Amino acid sequence: MPKHIVRLLALIVVVAIFAFSAKKFLTPDTFYQYGHYRGDAVAEIASKAPKLQGSASCEPCHKKAYAEWTDGIHRKATRKNAIQGVVYKYGPNCEVCHTGPAGNHPSKDAMPLSVEDQVTSITHPEIKVHPANVPGRKLMLTPEEMKGVCLNCHEKMEARPKEQRQIEVASHSGEELCTKCHNPHSPRIIYASLPQSRRGSAQAGKIVAAVCSGCHGAAGMSVNPSWPNLAGQHADFLVDSLKAFKSGVRKNDMMSSIAAGLNEADIRNVAAYFSRFSCGVTGGDKAEAALGKAKAANCAACHSAGGLYGSGAPGVSGIPTWPNLAGQNAEYLASTLRSYQDGSRTHPVMTSVAKTLSDSDIDHLSAYYASMKCK
Amino acid sequence: MESLFHHVTPHVGFIYPNESELPWTQLIVIYPYITGLVAGAFVVSSLHHVFNIKSFAPISRFALLTALCFMFFAPSPLLFHLGQPTRAFNAVITPHWTSAMAAFGYVAGFYVCLLLLETWFAFRADIVAMSKVRAGIMGKVYGWLTLGSDDVSQRALAIDHKIARILAMIGIPAACGLHGYVGFVFGSLKTREWWSSDLMPVIFLLSAVGSGVGLLIVLYVIVSKFRKTPMPNDTMRGLLYVLFTAITVVMVIEGLELLEIFYKGREGVETVRALIVGPIWAGMTIQWAMSLFVLAVTSALLFYNVHGERLVNWLFMAGLAMMIGVLAMRWNVVIGGQELSKTMKGLLTYYPEMFGRESLFTVLIISICPYVTLWLVAKLLPPWEEKIEPENRVFDVHKLA
Amino acid sequence: MTTQDRKFDQQAVALSRRRFLGLLGKGMVCAGTLVSANSAIGSAEVRGGKRAYQQNDAQYTESLNNPPEIPDYNWNDHQWAMGVDTDRCIGCLRCMEACKMENSVQMDAFHHRTWVERYVYLEGSNTAIVDSQADPKNIENTGSETKFRFDNRYRNVKVDKAFFVPKLCNQCEHPSCVQVCPTGATFKVKDGPVLIDTTYCIGCQYCVQACPYGARSFNEVRGVAEKCNWCYHRITKGLNPACVEVCPTGTRIFGDRNDPESPISLFIKNNHVQVLKPEMGNAPNVFYKGTDKEVV
Repeated sequence: MPKHIVRLLALIVVVAIFAFSAKKFLTPDTFYQYGHYRGDAVAEIASKAPKLQGSASCEPCHKKAYAEWTDGIHRKATRKNAIQGVVYKYGPNCEVCHTGPAGNHPSKDAMPLSVEDQVTSITHPEIKVHPANVPGRKLMLTPEEMKGVCLNCHEKMEARPKEQRQIEVASHSGEELCTKCHNPHSPRIIYASLPQSRRGSAQAGKIVAAVCSGCHGAAGMSVNPSWPNLAGQHADFLVDSLKAFKSGVRKNDMMSSIAAGLNEADIRNVAAYFSRFSCGVTGGDKAEAALGKAKAANCAACHSAGGLYGSGAPGVSGIPTWPNLAGQNAEYLASTLRSYQDGSRTHPVMTSVAKTLSDSDIDHLSAYYASMKCK
Repeated sequence: MESLFHHVTPHVGFIYPNESELPWTQLIVIYPYITGLVAGAFVVSSLHHVFNIKSFAPISRFALLTALCFMFFAPSPLLFHLGQPTRAFNAVITPHWTSAMAAFGYVAGFYVCLLLLETWFAFRADIVAMSKVRAGIMGKVYGWLTLGSDDVSQRALAIDHKIARILAMIGIPAACGLHGYVGFVFGSLKTREWWSSDLMPVIFLLSAVGSGVGLLIVLYVIVSKFRKTPMPNDTMRGLLYVLFTAITVVMVIEGLELLEIFYKGREGVETVRALIVGPIWAGMTIQWAMSLFVLAVTSALLFYNVHGERLVNWLFMAGLAMMIGVLAMRWNVVIGGQELSKTMKGLLTYYPEMFGRESLFTVLIISICPYVTLWLVAKLLPPWEEKIEPENRVFDVHKLA
Repeated sequence: MTTQDRKFDQQAVALSRRRFLGLLGKGMVCAGTLVSANSAIGSAEVRGGKRAYQQNDAQYTESLNNPPEIPDYNWNDHQWAMGVDTDRCIGCLRCMEACKMENSVQMDAFHHRTWVERYVYLEGSNTAIVDSQADPKNIENTGSETKFRFDNRYRNVKVDKAFFVPKLCNQCEHPSCVQVCPTGATFKVKDGPVLIDTTYCIGCQYCVQACPYGARSFNEVRGVAEKCNWCYHRITKGLNPACVEVCPTGTRIFGDRNDPESPISLFIKNNHVQVLKPEMGNAPNVFYKGTDKEVV
């Protein structure tokens, strides 16, 4: 064999040996252990720390918000719903709206905090970054952004299933913030969905009602126009009112002491009893009522069955925890509005609304609602 | 289009959100293009080496060098395209054989080795001669290239010739395999309607041969004009035959491919139609106009039995058109396939970057490199069967032994 | 257990008694074969389950006897799967946000491990108009690529039918992405998910091309491919994947197929489920309820 062929073959052998040993040397140790991949990679990928920590991790610091959520409708999240034997999670938990607080806490710019929150107070115990020191992060949400958090799920939209509660923003709240009426951690309690035991029994309420009938009439129509009619009022509103008297949030010489003597069941029962009666129109000056009707558009957003732009019986609230106004005594309505004005009664919405009304407005509105049919 | 997609988005129709950036860009367009040129050039060189067709003798060594130089740069677009170029050898260290791409390192490596060996054997007598005439650094370089053996006896040269022929014989299936394989990389993807075709490897292979012949024609004409050497009529006629055969078969198969897509009319065929008249209409027009031009010119040249200067001029234009047409075809396949969304409900339009790692500028640089290398290599190893005349001394390598 | 189940069990008992003697003879023959098979596979055979994609005998034995060292977790005990109940999806896109946070996915409109598509049939139309959050109009509406929100573009038109479809990696039984990976940087592990070894990926993007579902994306910053892995770091710690964890409506159902009482097993058992693009032959492990002919 000629010399150059021999040399060439030798060269090829040297290169081949080098390539072969390089391949052996460079192959990672655990390659081919479980398959055609680096066996170590599995444990490496699994060792990454989770960022979302679950709602339970919020509780130690955010006790109040956590408690609100736990009792509210948004908590249906962790109540296991079984449909056809399949366990469903239903409703948002903390990290749905506050994405990633635990892992990235508190540096997540999309995290909705209420405007009142002191940002500096929420330094997560495990992550020692002061929120003010997180560069490029905006912790406070603008009102528009806050609204967006709710509308992510609740804006009325094609393709959303009917079961999802959806609102038409313009007709539902207009420019108002969602948080004005709703606590985001527990937006609404639906009484209809509560177990039977939490609803009152009208039968049982009749006995308790004997105490009330002295003033509010046996059928819920008050004997004195400065006292409220109870007939046909929402049971939920009556329950809330009695509880407010009992706890001292509302004060009235008569009612505070009577309510103090009622237990939970009594309150629910008596409310159920009075709510079943139908009320009568208590009248009111026709001319004043006509003037009041023009002014009532503002009230109709809450105190009408159809909401702001919808049609519906005026003075009958769509939400059972808000009072019906239709058929209420005009004098009582007027005095209530004035008590909101002077601050002897307070309510997040009504206090500010009442302050926009003049004396004559109050008289007109009271006359208007007194002249409406309540059912 | 209006009725089809309702124009709700700036994309046409609906694409998966991850699709809006094309995974494979213009670099992957020129990768099969350059590889195709290699395959074509190699086939021409082996027409002489293997089949002993004498008319290709004047350009067979030049074709071999062309194949080698283009092969050096065939992997470079891929390297520039990788997200982690430094890890490129992972595919060679632990090749995953169910992947069409895993074999690339081995196929390309094998082919480079084959071309190097064949070149070495084809040029060994010249190398030995050069090592004797040249002094200085170049003399040293030639010395190393001889591997320290100046055996140019009749027997040794006969062995060289035999080995070179065997290598060329291996090289033909290897070249076809290399390029059929590139077609397989695309054709085996069931995801993309525009690629997923059994004809894809064949189309790639045949168009590769066509473009390679075109490249050789163009280079040979230009080089001969510069060197003021005559172009033998037989050689040009031979190239004409190869080009004519290639373009005929390529056009038929490509036509069949399109016909099949539309005749089968599977789900989303409207979107395929929209792709052709939409994002790649320019590419399609260039591809088919150039192909028709080449077909018309080569047919006419054959029909009128043209020779001499007119043959050279028209063949040059046909070769150039072939190269452009195949480049457009590569664009239409690689980019067009990705512009057609996997949803079959939408189309994208790709706008190439001008500067950057994956840009037209990179493409330009990579495309120029093989030509520069070829120029340098042709200086090192003159492929022309002529006498070497260093410093006034007449020295005929073929009479050395 | 329902009445029907109980009945079925009783039948099974009766059957086994009747056939017991007849089967005994066959059993003796089979036993011999089984013993030899057992010795090859080792003691873990009982709970080993099926072989992973592209695993040879030795590697299978290794994965049974010597599983990766993940604290309190053995991949031989699980076979993960996911269900999507499209009837429940409200398109709130909290899953997208949670996924991006959890996995540090690039915060732009072109890189997603999970996303939601909206299908809308306009009145009288036979085909759906589709968009996802990455649609430029949706991004224009929120003014940011990272505020995940669908716009309300169909508010004033008549719509026949509309629904949302969440998408993610299907962790296929025959993953095309794994098939085409030239290096072995992506692979299917024994408990189901398809993972990416980002320290070994060369960034060729062949897998991005090969995925029929568009589930993979390319991270230009890191130079490697990325995709959903069902939060492998979470499920190996007993947590749900991030998207399942935050889904407020229970659209996404996740669990272990080895446990017949797990949410996913019950979901598959009690519903007519489909997979996406079955004609691709990938055999996805994400099961959809209530999809539509237009869903791609």
